[in-house]
Amino acid sequence: MRDSTTSEPWRVGVLFSSSGFMAVIEDTQLRGTLTAIDEINDAGGINGRPIEPVLYDPASEALAFGRYAKRLMVEDGITTIFGCYTSSSRKAVLPVVERLNGLLWYPTLYEGFEFSPNVIYTGAAPNQNSVELCRFLMERYGKRFYFVGSDYVYPRESNRIMRELVHHNGGQVVGERYLDLRAKRGDFLPVVRDIKDAMPDVIFSTVVGDSTVNLYQTYAELCLDPKSMPIASLTTTEAEIRAMGFDVGEGHITAASYFQGIDSKRNLNFVKRYKKRYGDDQDTNMCLEAAYFQVQIFAKALERANTMDTEILRPSILGSEIEAPQGKVSVNTLCGHTDLWTRIGRANRCGDFDLVYESQAAVKADPYLIGYGRSIAFG
Amino acid sequence: MPISTNTANNKLILGAPRPRDELALESSSTGATTGSTQPISGTDHQFNREFRDLDIAVFTVRDEAGEQLLRELQRTRARVQHIWPIPELIPASYDVIYCDLVNDLPQRLPWLPGKPDAALVVIAAAAQSLDLKLLHNCAPHAVVHQPVTAQAVLSSLLVGRGHFLYECRLRGRVDKLDDNLRTMRSVERAKAILMQSRSISEEEAYHYLRRRAMERRVTIGALANVIVDSQELLG
Repeated sequence: MRDSTTSEPWRVGVLFSSSGFMAVIEDTQLRGTLTAIDEINDAGGINGRPIEPVLYDPASEALAFGRYAKRLMVEDGITTIFGCYTSSSRKAVLPVVERLNGLLWYPTLYEGFEFSPNVIYTGAAPNQNSVELCRFLMERYGKRFYFVGSDYVYPRESNRIMRELVHHNGGQVVGERYLDLRAKRGDFLPVVRDIKDAMPDVIFSTVVGDSTVNLYQTYAELCLDPKSMPIASLTTTEAEIRAMGFDVGEGHITAASYFQGIDSKRNLNFVKRYKKRYGDDQDTNMCLEAAYFQVQIFAKALERANTMDTEILRPSILGSEIEAPQGKVSVNTLCGHTDLWTRIGRANRCGDFDLVYESQAAVKADPYLIGYGRSIAFG
Repeated sequence: MPISTNTANNKLILGAPRPRDELALESSSTGATTGSTQPISGTDHQFNREFRDLDIAVFTVRDEAGEQLLRELQRTRARVQHIWPIPELIPASYDVIYCDLVNDLPQRLPWLPGKPDAALVVIAAAAQSLDLKLLHNCAPHAVVHQPVTAQAVLSSLLVGRGHFLYECRLRGRVDKLDDNLRTMRSVERAKAILMQSRSISEEEAYHYLRRRAMERRVTIGALANVIVDSQELLG
């Protein structure tokens, strides 16, 4: 056990891609992580010791996440890692942290149906975004859905859940297409043409990374109207909207626990600090926010535990509550996921999201959808 | 000695796993047994047979202690292959890998921790002090300390291999459970579709699923997926 009087830094690993096709969003998660670390260090660190991040850039390659996790744990002697956006990268890190008994903090919404004692999940599970989104879309736009996604585990699993919700509420999936993660602009043209032919009420998109921009831009090019047939997504954040252009993003729908536009003192403060650090034209988003507040949860738990030993640190994390920019959140003791807010936003002309739905409090995480039947209670 | 040794200057390419056949050729006589007394007691025939089918690679300095380890492993009648020096990337094409606990052993292992392709037994030399952190990072299935005894070698082989196989079974079980969780939701949906479209009871719907799955020799989950998908096609 470490001497509590030492001033030696607490070393943590950070794995987000600063390059490659996932950099648009993962780079913001990296910033969220580093912002939180700096704020904690500026305030004197944890029990008098600063946090020292050890960074690697897995360059959007899922397998590289596994290799870097091994390197962090084996060569750098690190037990706590903040990182991963895609489910493929999380699944690559999973066996490493499980076998060597480390802790992965995963700040990204995902498809649920997972529980690892070596992961703290701080992004939304399907019951915290998909369920409410489906209800909203059916009530507001109609029951004919078209699914378009990137071709990997998260979109297929999310669509499986969404399809279930749509079907059991009398809706219909009129088309389903998957494109390569690196899909170019031209690859989207036939898909959006097909959408135009099928004329669904809603396009549910699980396209992630760079190609998100291509989907929305192709949609705009073909003069489709978000007022009657919006693209709804769980992953299109302020970062992607900025990349595609505010006019292109306007009118489209995203469900998330956090939007930059949340009108609370805590959030306005958070956004102000962020912009001061990275520039006025830089926006916050849900993935960045989760990456930010999870470091704060870690810091509070570490302060109590005063050790990076996973066996002691994890129990100290479970049940932790914190005032995050999105509101009060807590780490669910049962499943290691975080109880988060459910919100639905519509992108406006300024690249922000106007809230069209907000839960009254944080929604309990239910990654296996145990408490959710197949039908949504309307009304 | 009947065990052949691969050295760096006889074709062993660092970093590249060698094809299994080539290795086997060079050690064709390793299956031969030495000594008359087997250290396995007469009632342990099952293990005796199990060991005989194993391919074991031993990455160790061939000093007196190393020879002793190789000799004892050979006595199990397993196919034993000695390789030295340790390649940059240890080939995974063996059932059991014995390897000296060198400082960069974790980096030389071809798999990620938690996803081993073979049982790993770490050899701790008598002279060096034991680096527990390093040992932890190798995530071995067993450890054998030099100088070895017949009993220690047998135990390490049995326990190491046993732990590895158990880990594989557990991993398989987790995968299966994850799968089953998803399947159960499909079955639920298929059941609801059947109940509605055929106006039958819940019990009858399950019965229908079981009977049809058996007739078609598919799993209930696979059948449920077909029903759900076709329902979707029909709108």
